[in-house]
Amino acid sequence: MHHANHFYGHAHVLARYAGLGDRHPPRINGYVQHGWNIGDGLAPGHPYAERTPSLLWSEQTRRRAWSVGRRNVVVMGAPFVYLLALRREDPPAEEREGTIWYPFHGWEGQHVKGDHRKLIALIRDTEPGPVTVCLYWHEYRMRNVRRLYERAGFRVICHGYRGHWWKDTDPDFLDRQLTELRRHRRVASNRLTSAIFYGIAAGCEPAVYGDPMILSNEDPTFGGTARIRRQWPQLHGSTVDLPTAVEIARAELGTDHRCTPAELRELLGWANLQEEEEDRDD
Amino acid sequence: MTTETAPAGRITLPGGEMLAWSDLPQERLADGGPLAALAARLVPPGARVLVAGPHDPALLDQLAHAEVTCLLRSHPDAVALAHRAARLVVGGPAGLPDDETYDVVIAAAGLDPVESVEGTQLGWDGVLARLVAVLRPGGALLLRLDNPLGLHRLVDTTPWYARRDDAAWAIGGVLDRARPANRDQLRERLSVAGLMPATCWAAYPDVSTPTALLDADHLDRDAGSGLFDAVLHGACAGGFTSATVLQDPARLAVDALHAGRAADLAPGWLTLAHRPADPEDPSTPTADRDLPVALVQTGRPGIGVLEVLHGPSGWRWGLIPTSDPRTPAGAPFASGKAAYRDADALSGPVPSGRLLRTVLLDAAVRRDLGTVRALLRGYAGWLTDQADADGRIAGAAALAGTDNVVFDGERYAVLDPSWRVTAALPADVVLARALWRFATGLLTGGYAHPWPSTLDVAGLTVVLGGLAGHDLDRATVSEAVDAEAAIAAALHGLDAAGTADLATELHAVAPTDPPIGGHSYQQLREAWLRQREELTRLAALTAWTEELLTSRERALRRAETTISLLSGSISYRVGRLAITPARLAKRGARAAKRRAIAVLAPKQEEQQ
Repeated sequence: MHHANHFYGHAHVLARYAGLGDRHPPRINGYVQHGWNIGDGLAPGHPYAERTPSLLWSEQTRRRAWSVGRRNVVVMGAPFVYLLALRREDPPAEEREGTIWYPFHGWEGQHVKGDHRKLIALIRDTEPGPVTVCLYWHEYRMRNVRRLYERAGFRVICHGYRGHWWKDTDPDFLDRQLTELRRHRRVASNRLTSAIFYGIAAGCEPAVYGDPMILSNEDPTFGGTARIRRQWPQLHGSTVDLPTAVEIARAELGTDHRCTPAELRELLGWANLQEEEEDRDD
Repeated sequence: MTTETAPAGRITLPGGEMLAWSDLPQERLADGGPLAALAARLVPPGARVLVAGPHDPALLDQLAHAEVTCLLRSHPDAVALAHRAARLVVGGPAGLPDDETYDVVIAAAGLDPVESVEGTQLGWDGVLARLVAVLRPGGALLLRLDNPLGLHRLVDTTPWYARRDDAAWAIGGVLDRARPANRDQLRERLSVAGLMPATCWAAYPDVSTPTALLDADHLDRDAGSGLFDAVLHGACAGGFTSATVLQDPARLAVDALHAGRAADLAPGWLTLAHRPADPEDPSTPTADRDLPVALVQTGRPGIGVLEVLHGPSGWRWGLIPTSDPRTPAGAPFASGKAAYRDADALSGPVPSGRLLRTVLLDAAVRRDLGTVRALLRGYAGWLTDQADADGRIAGAAALAGTDNVVFDGERYAVLDPSWRVTAALPADVVLARALWRFATGLLTGGYAHPWPSTLDVAGLTVVLGGLAGHDLDRATVSEAVDAEAAIAAALHGLDAAGTADLATELHAVAPTDPPIGGHSYQQLREAWLRQREELTRLAALTAWTEELLTSRERALRRAETTISLLSGSISYRVGRLAITPARLAKRGARAAKRRAIAVLAPKQEEQQ
């Protein structure tokens, strides 16, 4: 129902896992958390219908959402966890090389303040192997930003467009991201974000360092980057303890909360799909 | 009431009898229930017994091996019971002959109904003293005391101080210093009266006709006992079905158990006390050894009184079979019933551990999905291990729901193995039935849980199945509900129409319903709140959808405007002209396909 459910092709991944094939995903009876979040799991600024279920990644997010007045909050794990279950084959370590680096992005309405040049120098000093820089859609389209990274000798990629109001959603976004992550030995960013947790879950060693590039209009409600550094100091630095990182990523992505296909169909409201809807979407 | 003439000489009328009064209990259990079973255990063969106050006639039948004297205030009751006792003294306690003593005195209706409305009122201590006086040294007294702060009063819609029924010519309550109000005070009064208090049993759910008598010391000590949990829940859930109560008595009893207070909150107690034997005559007529930890009547169908006894390696089951000829003996394989109770199964050890339902509920209300998952996986694995090569489960394991399985942290075990299916059920259906029953209790009971309110009972059952590692589908859940209806119908003796009605009722259970069975104000209010929440959610959803629809309609209008603008353009017209042959060809191909299908279809039917 909510367009944010379609971001990054999340609904598509869930539909495939639930056994609905590659069809257009049916409406979800709730809001699927669409990114790692230090708030209630829902993106601020989006309109939500009161008491519609929030389908969250982790138990910690559930507790936090409840404490700020959300009800009907349910833990089901991140869509990425479902993708990992669909594509279990992790490549052997020798096939991995270099680092995939995610410069922090805001979304289209936000503007990042920071110095890309300084960041590039730091990446070159820190990363031991070849670097792939993955830019967010709107930065990828900003030629000057893209050029900066290309000139530094980095491979520059973009996973696709997350979509907006059901339009232009790239259903393979997450698939593409997983493929890229599995090509690399390390995953890094200047902020602790979903990509870092995805990378850890996909078998990469994580690193978070460099100027976090504060957003010009960053919402301070949940404490912002300062709080992230306070709460997850273990994940910050150019090298971090891998077992600790794996454990934290497991909790934050809700890996242990992954549902079975039938269970997922019930939680998303897909157990009793109406014929018309199936016909229409086929 | 029986009006036949009493056998001459059995009834004595020393004065104080009540001619227009009856105390005999209206509700009666088969064979007198656990109370009669306990009395029968306490009375040795040939003993002289005084049964003081009104008791279930079946209790007197259980004492056929003894010489029984009844002390009754009601003359009609004495006439009704005359065939069952050697002697009946009708009047107040003062009417007991001074020169007679008894080996055992049973006052299992308490001391209040021993006193008549006529004559001087002796009061609680006075009546006790009179009974102790007729108890021979070394003899035993089984005495009931009602708890003024018992569970029955906590759930009652009428306060104890407002009684207006005929028996309320005097109301005993916690304010009355003349009578003991708790177990400590009772022990003290018994000691003052010259008795030595021994075992005390907590009586649930109703002290007049208890279906469960549980050793009070063990209740205090074994707060996590799955056995006590299941027994208290069963007794209280079954004991208040006809009355509207303030809150769920079963929940309250189990909470009291886990807080170590189930004995303190019992509706009443039955205490065994001895009169010290004369130093020159140390023999004791009653043996306290091997007294049961629990005496329970479960059902339906009833198979007698279940006992829990001390064994060399912990507690073990025992059974005092029913003498009711209506209860079928043995396995009714020929009857076609889905389930039955096997009395022979009750002989082994009572498994220790906590009741699975309780630990699951606890994890659900704390929203501890990890624990729910671990418990359900272990339980489902244990069930699967008991399936045969065809994946079917037979016997007691097929009915081993969360309310009859205990978990000791490592192993799962069936608590009461007498519940059995006649024909083995598919393992998935067994699991789905257990989970559906748990889901129904959780949702209709109003428990907090970690799942969305949008799930119906079948949906939650599927989700629980997923947590257990089994991808159940709704068809399996539906099969399980049918199995549940068939099993319940077999156990309750319903006919085919009754079974069908029950199945319809069970399929229709909704999360916003109050629990099936007796109603409590608290649970009715909770059901109403759930309905209100659901309405709030749906109203918000409708408003949101309306808003979205408006915005999408606006987007559609914009798109339509663009389309009509573009379709009028020259480039569109040229393009359309260019693809016209392709469109016509496609249309022709479709028509040909339709014709071919129309021609082939009747032939295929003919071939069939």
